[in-house]
Amino acid sequence: MRTFILFIRRFFNLILFLGVEVVCIIMIARTKTLQGNDIVSSANVVSGLLYKKQNDVVYYFGLGRMNDSLLNENARLRLQMAMLKGIDTLHDSLVHKPIGKPDSTHVVRYADYVYRTARVINNSVSAANNYITINRGSNDGITRNMSVLSGSGTVGRVVHVSPHFASILSVLSVKQQVSARLKDGTYGYVTWDGDRPDVLMMRDVAQQIKVKAGDTVYTTSYSFFPPDIVMGYVFKTETLKKNNLQLLYMHPAANFRNLQYVYVVENKMDAERKELEDSVKSK
Amino acid sequence: MSVYLRNFLRFCFIVILQVLVLNKVTLRWWLEPMGFPIFVPYVYPLFILLLPFETPVWALIILGFITGITIDGFANTAGLHACATVFIAYLRTNVLNALLPKNLSEYAHQNPNVKNMTWTPFLTYAAFLLLLHHTVFFTLELWNFSNIGYLLLKIIAATITSMIFVIIYVLLFTRQTTARV
Repeated sequence: MRTFILFIRRFFNLILFLGVEVVCIIMIARTKTLQGNDIVSSANVVSGLLYKKQNDVVYYFGLGRMNDSLLNENARLRLQMAMLKGIDTLHDSLVHKPIGKPDSTHVVRYADYVYRTARVINNSVSAANNYITINRGSNDGITRNMSVLSGSGTVGRVVHVSPHFASILSVLSVKQQVSARLKDGTYGYVTWDGDRPDVLMMRDVAQQIKVKAGDTVYTTSYSFFPPDIVMGYVFKTETLKKNNLQLLYMHPAANFRNLQYVYVVENKMDAERKELEDSVKSK
Repeated sequence: MSVYLRNFLRFCFIVILQVLVLNKVTLRWWLEPMGFPIFVPYVYPLFILLLPFETPVWALIILGFITGITIDGFANTAGLHACATVFIAYLRTNVLNALLPKNLSEYAHQNPNVKNMTWTPFLTYAAFLLLLHHTVFFTLELWNFSNIGYLLLKIIAATITSMIFVIIYVLLFTRQTTARV
């Protein structure tokens, strides 16, 4: 017993060091999965308030750029509205709005999306998993797994929520993949390899599909995003030798370096869909 | 000013500097280089480096954990910064012993700085521990060894940039009273 106590006293620092490192590694290991952890996130009160105070100061410097992006978005929405007006809608109520597609079948696709605006108060692009903090939380109706869009394209999904803040795991993350499609309906998925914030990659596109530089990549209804949102624009294609599938390099549509405002999208049908899918899985 | 208060104020200052200023400074060394990593300079390990000489190792480890977990809370990286900071906090005493001519106990009530260590040993000390910190941090963060050159490039570029910020910090916050005498 005495030698044991002497041993502890002799190696106390080493034991403490190893103990603390094990605690850190356990915490890191918990964040490596998409479910993440709720112990440490920038959606907590202290960092949220600090980021908000800072954003109140630097907010004015980006107003010019933000105006430009809002104008562009308005122009795009006006164009879409003009296209929608030509479509004969089966159900013309406020709740159910058919998506802007001439429906040749008798199935009308309904979308029940609620858009909430939020101001970005913290943002990063240099980490392997980049998080964005916004100034809306559960008090404003934000819940986990809602998708987040900017005026020009996809941004990410909500992973932590506190009463007044929420943190978003952006598309620039090595641990999440987003289902995506090309203009002609070819499916694939979009990943990020963790180095450059202006390059995303779309994988698993078959070799015979003709893809040009400048083609648009959209989200699909398989992903947590609403369908047909622009993800990015292809600028380079490459055929992999090992499986003869194409790898498309694309620039994300959203500019992650200066995000000012984002839209948090709530899908009202998400709970029902998840319930149905889970009931199938459990059988 | 008591040594606890002074170190607490330095902790607050360095954390706020890191979180509100340097975390927003996303660096690339030149425009649009294909595959050159972008990174953020980390100077918060300086708080551990500047603690008094006689701080015991267990206190260094605990303070390192607190510093790291604070930065983690702001950066959404649970445990990554804490792991790297605890690592350098544990090694700090050994590095100081190796670099200093006298025993550590002879430097009572002093912080490591360029005056009592002179420039070369201080910069060696800071650069070595920052390199270790960045190595642990970026390795754990990326956790992908398929592109090891990219990882090394990122570590080295980030260390050099962080050292530049550390030197600026030291130049700004070293009292120049002795120089005038």
